[in-house]
Amino acid sequence: MSDNAKNAIRIALTKGRLEKDAVKLFGKMEWDISAFLDKGRKLIFDIPEQNIEVVIAKPTDVLTYVEHGVCDVGLVGKDTILEYGGKYFEVLDLGFGRCRFGLAVKKGADFYSGCGVKTVASKYTNVTREFFESKDMDVDIVKIEGSVELAPLLGLADGIVDLIETGSTLRENGLEEIEKLADISARLIINTVSMKMKKAEIDKIISGIERNLT
Amino acid sequence: MPQFSVALATEILWWRGRHGIENMKKNNLITPEGTRDLLFDECLARRKIETDLMSLFKSKGFSEVVTPLLEFYDVFDNYFTQEQMYKLPDAKGRLMVLRPDSTLPIIRLAETRLRDEPRPLRLCYNQVIYRANPKEAGVDDEIAQCGIELIGGSSAGILKLAVEVFKTIGGNYRFELGNCRIFSRLAKEYKIDPEKAELIRRLVETKNYSGLSALDIPAIFVELPKLFGGFEVFEKAEKLFKTETMKNRLMALKRVYTELCEYVKGDKITVDLGLTNELGYYTGIIFNGYSEGFGEPVLTGGKYKVGNTLAAGFAVNISELSLKTNLQNRGKRYISSLVCEGGQ
Repeated sequence: MSDNAKNAIRIALTKGRLEKDAVKLFGKMEWDISAFLDKGRKLIFDIPEQNIEVVIAKPTDVLTYVEHGVCDVGLVGKDTILEYGGKYFEVLDLGFGRCRFGLAVKKGADFYSGCGVKTVASKYTNVTREFFESKDMDVDIVKIEGSVELAPLLGLADGIVDLIETGSTLRENGLEEIEKLADISARLIINTVSMKMKKAEIDKIISGIERNLT
Repeated sequence: MPQFSVALATEILWWRGRHGIENMKKNNLITPEGTRDLLFDECLARRKIETDLMSLFKSKGFSEVVTPLLEFYDVFDNYFTQEQMYKLPDAKGRLMVLRPDSTLPIIRLAETRLRDEPRPLRLCYNQVIYRANPKEAGVDDEIAQCGIELIGGSSAGILKLAVEVFKTIGGNYRFELGNCRIFSRLAKEYKIDPEKAELIRRLVETKNYSGLSALDIPAIFVELPKLFGGFEVFEKAEKLFKTETMKNRLMALKRVYTELCEYVKGDKITVDLGLTNELGYYTGIIFNGYSEGFGEPVLTGGKYKVGNTLAAGFAVNISELSLKTNLQNRGKRYISSLVCEGGQ
């Protein structure tokens, strides 16, 4: 890492949903996590006595930072990895942040009927495209940034591809899941050069995490 | 002019552009994404590395060749996906690409104009390649590379030459060896069907420990990606590799490793038995050079087979190296006081 004089290991942590579980995991590894408990607006945290820095970032940025090697290690959801790809080692399934990619339609609708081209709304357009390509199906994909559930209700789309945790949002909006695309959970990713150049330090983190996974 | 009217004028211009009224918008003041102008020290840094490496290669008997930036698509078909290449049609409608790699054009050269030349051919190059990367990824599409190709004959010696590259560049580095036939042979010995083997290969390649543990596969495939590091890797692997062929392959790699370690003192040389044939043309020893401060390998190479040609070679990413060295002087004007004699 060019801008890291202390030669510390820098970890990029996904902001939000995964953050709490990740900090809990760090705590189990007996890292001093007091900085996270009262973090205010800080974005970079030192973990005392470990020579580790933790950066809080949005999911896609975690991939970017790790791919470029400005962070050595990343904790990020498989959903982001599937959607954006990239070159890094994806070493561990952390087991938390579990959910799935699912195809959902209006309750009772038959998505696969007829021979017309279907319209599918999603925030995850690459995942959606690959899924339907694997079925040799031509679909129109519309990118929606916010609540994708709206698209079929408003008549813009025949179905949606989205992250589904419990399915309650779908149910409350009269939609139902008809197919699972992939299981999702948080992953530990490592920059390809860091893995080799800082092997001892990275190995220590990987085995520490592995021991504390539930 | 009062300030509000400047703001208003800007807004009108923006609005006109946005609604296509201003359809004369020109990109005459910017460079395409993924490309850049190099100024002053950046040029000096790049030319210095190029000159140093090219004279190193030439001192070892390699002759320089230059191939066209435009090549037919067919040269790269099977090795690069359509999405990875910049494409355009020629006058007859045939598809051309900006070369995404220099190895395949040099093999084309070796199989045609240099067909009757005695082997081994020792060729080197210093030219740019183009890759169509995803937008806004912060990576260059235009990459300057120096490299060598040793076509026909023994590949011995190119490893030492690759290590010499790092001695020439300086800085903290690691040089890593692997053999992609370790994975392919294992897949064959355990009779893994090709589709599943490709899935396992991808998991090994990305060191996806959890993904491999979750599959119902022989334990050796779970261990393989963890077999990287120094000499201890060979000791571990010797216990895991059961057949004569695998043991021999490991011994051969160990010999190469030991020989290279004698050549470069210290812990610079490492090994990764989990390296696989990602690019699709490697057939034996493959290697990567890592340099501190770089997010990806700065040198990649190995033994390969394209068509009927057996060869070995490596490429060095000159763009990355020259941009990251001497960062503090980035863009500094080098000769600022030079004026024309006789000028005012």
